[in-house]
Amino acid sequence: MIELDRRTFIKGAGAGGATCALATLLPGSLAALEQQPLKAVGKEVASICEMCSTRCPISARVVDGKNVFIGGNKEAKSFGGKVCARGGAGHSLLYDPQRIVNPLRRVGERGEGKWEEITWKQAYQTIAKSLNDIKAKHGAEAVAFSSKSGSLSGHLFHLGKAFGSPNSFTHASTCPGGYVIAAKAIFGTKVKRDLGNSKYIINFGHNLYEGINMSETRGMMKAQMEKNAKLVVFEPRFSVVADKADEWFAIRPGTDLAVALALCHVLIEDNLYDREFIEQHVVGFEAFAEEVKAYTPEWAEGVSDVPAKDIRRIAHEYAAHAPHAVVDFGHRATFTPEEFDMRRALFAANVLIGNIERKGGLYLGKKAKTYNKFAGDKVAPTLGKPGVEGLPKPTAKRIDQVDEQYAMMWSSGGIYQTILDATLEAKPYQLKAWVMSRTNPMQTMTDRARVVESLKKLDFVVCCDVYISETAAYADIILPESTYLERDEEIADKSGKNPAYYVRQRVVETIGQTKPSWQIFKELGEEMGLGQFFPWENMESLQLLQVNRDVTLWNTIKEKGYVSYGKPLMLREPSMVAAFTAKYPNAKPTDEDGTYASAMSFKTPSGKIELSSDKVEKMATGRGVIKYRPVQLKQADELYFIQGKVAVHTNGATHNIPMLANLMSDNGVWIHPLTAGKLGISSGDKIRLSSSVGSEEGTALVTPGIRQDTVFAYMGFGSKNKELARATGKGIHCGNLLPHQTAPVCGMNIHTTGITLAKI
Amino acid sequence: MSKRYVMVHDENRCIGCQACSVACRSENGTPESVSRLQVRVEGPFGDAPHLHFKYNRVSCQQCENAPCVTVCPTGAAYVGDDGLVSIKADKCVGCMYCVAACPYKVRFMNPETKAADKCNFCKDTRLARGELPACVTVCPTDALIFGDANDPQSDVAKLINTKATYQEKTHLGTQPRVYRIPTKRGGIQS
Repeated sequence: MIELDRRTFIKGAGAGGATCALATLLPGSLAALEQQPLKAVGKEVASICEMCSTRCPISARVVDGKNVFIGGNKEAKSFGGKVCARGGAGHSLLYDPQRIVNPLRRVGERGEGKWEEITWKQAYQTIAKSLNDIKAKHGAEAVAFSSKSGSLSGHLFHLGKAFGSPNSFTHASTCPGGYVIAAKAIFGTKVKRDLGNSKYIINFGHNLYEGINMSETRGMMKAQMEKNAKLVVFEPRFSVVADKADEWFAIRPGTDLAVALALCHVLIEDNLYDREFIEQHVVGFEAFAEEVKAYTPEWAEGVSDVPAKDIRRIAHEYAAHAPHAVVDFGHRATFTPEEFDMRRALFAANVLIGNIERKGGLYLGKKAKTYNKFAGDKVAPTLGKPGVEGLPKPTAKRIDQVDEQYAMMWSSGGIYQTILDATLEAKPYQLKAWVMSRTNPMQTMTDRARVVESLKKLDFVVCCDVYISETAAYADIILPESTYLERDEEIADKSGKNPAYYVRQRVVETIGQTKPSWQIFKELGEEMGLGQFFPWENMESLQLLQVNRDVTLWNTIKEKGYVSYGKPLMLREPSMVAAFTAKYPNAKPTDEDGTYASAMSFKTPSGKIELSSDKVEKMATGRGVIKYRPVQLKQADELYFIQGKVAVHTNGATHNIPMLANLMSDNGVWIHPLTAGKLGISSGDKIRLSSSVGSEEGTALVTPGIRQDTVFAYMGFGSKNKELARATGKGIHCGNLLPHQTAPVCGMNIHTTGITLAKI
Repeated sequence: MSKRYVMVHDENRCIGCQACSVACRSENGTPESVSRLQVRVEGPFGDAPHLHFKYNRVSCQQCENAPCVTVCPTGAAYVGDDGLVSIKADKCVGCMYCVAACPYKVRFMNPETKAADKCNFCKDTRLARGELPACVTVCPTDALIFGDANDPQSDVAKLINTKATYQEKTHLGTQPRVYRIPTKRGGIQS
């Protein structure tokens, strides 16, 4: 089902030959260099993966000067010393002949694919002159800075700040923003899930067995296999998670909110909720309870196709396992414009059974500062920060802050797709330039044609990347970043139930002329006349600042790669609190019940969990209370188009990496046999998918593992630039079918639409 | 033969993520066009909503009665002291009898060495260093368990003595040493 097409030898050799031919034509690529042996930095180096956003701790070893074996770092217990296919294939990116290892300047039309190699000095000078000219004419706010959120994104945003632009963006609104914003509204902060200790897990299509997050994927498997936890999955397609579930319901796309609200309805109406917990820690319960009265399982059945009797039964089973039960609040996939209330409803189902800070439920991350306060002792070191004085304070408004209802997203990375509105419609003012680092909006944003139009319209575009990604193909200047296996980075906080730190370290010496992006943006800043804002010399000096010059600590973190402190702590779990107080004699005194429940605090206006929120009501009238609103995701004669992640690729990033491209280079379109039969389509047939914004050609995969009214494809395929020679033209491009639409409050772009299907 | 290395593949835990096949390729330098190991996610089988996938580990089964060894005319294919079905590349003449004889279709000609090749549980690399095979080391969900079944205290011995397992094509008398724990869904008979 997951199509693994290992090429035949002949075909493989042929494709390889063509690739080489193209790569040598491509200036600045690794193929243009003479092949040299890899120079290992150490025998076995502990570092951090970058093949997806989970950033698992890894341990890497150079094999015979030509290969790297990448495994997990055993020091990180919840990661189990494991690594997924993407992580294991990182070295294949490292020495891919198509990798860009020299700065490039566009010489043809934008997107035409004509490049010349230039020096770093030339690249910096060109960028500095262009950006400073734009700043002089239109103000610093006419330049947008965007990066995939992650280890080095801060360095690009620092440059943006130093330059004076308020417009910096992460990929949040195209991926994980929905649940983060919902959590902020309810808890005032992000929360984590303790899947490993859960006895009952309700999952709304959170594809943890394909979109692997090592610690959580392992947690869920541990719960299922070792704790005999029950897993219930609501998902329109038969994914690997659905396969591993005890019960799978092929829910109608975009109706998770209805089922979640019906679960809440049963919990409240049948008196299955934790009244005491609600009274002590929650505000806004009454308004929520009043609202969910209407959302009966019978009503939800009509909306979602999930039988009412099952919703009722599942709510009872879930409550019976409380508090060691959880409704997984999910990750990516904005199924519906009602994303914000969908995620809030999922959180609400957790709050109602009082699983907060209980084993198998939800909890707040405990960084050193909080943890030490509870321990009454300096159990874990805290990290220092380099203070930079005199950073400009932009007076211009952000381009996505026009509507105050998005205020929460603003602080979490902004609404990425507003770059297009500002560029094409001068909304709220005209954007002139875009500086990007390791981000691929051409794949991850919706309405691809509009992204192309925007990139063509801008005066100046800079991309920092490892490949000429679909987006970088439209840049004026491409800055080649070193891969993560060639970079040192700052020490990062990886705290969970107890504090932990880890660090990315280079495994091999740099190939070609590439540089780590922290260095690129520092040097670029200096060229732009902003050197005063970059007072650190190199990564070593930054790391030493972080450890407050404690060299022993520095060496420990570097040697082990991952260090954790103290004992896991969940504030309302009596056994964990007991173990904690036994270990730390100066620990904060517990409540009468032997927990730290009363010490629980939330960064909401009320300091409590807010099931209904006055703050949200002020941001967007009528949205203070979680509510169901009907949405139309497709026309009557159309099919739902949905997408998801696969275990061997990451979103818009890995499809050209040789080992992974060889495992899977195409995304067959899942179609139900009855739907396919009506259209005369068989597996392997060429088909056309058409939506309101675009049309894609793909290959049919006829399977009973999908609803009759729905088609599915794994995302990230079907690139359209010639530079990604292995990935381009293979499979369908999901972003080319999805219209531009933004969800209220959380600002997410929507990933479900209607399509029509035809055999070609 | 004191050791009896076996591999157990728990199909309940396997998610078909291919971490094993990538790790195998990295450790053993397997050329792009061939594979020592794949996990094929097959299906779904059954009638909706009662569907299930099969997670099929495709690799050398380390037969105790190995047809590839029997047919090899030069002794390149042999059973070593460790009980593993092994290949002496310098003795291989490329006749491909072993490739044809393997009932599991997991032998191939290595385009670089021009000799027959297959999974050998990382015998020359990781086992030689006292480590577990690459696939076992990385498996995200601990679906692979490897060890010496002659050691009653080993995890594999405990597993195959206590859990229902099955092996592929046992009717051929090959006595494969890859054991599979059938998925609880789908009712694959052991």
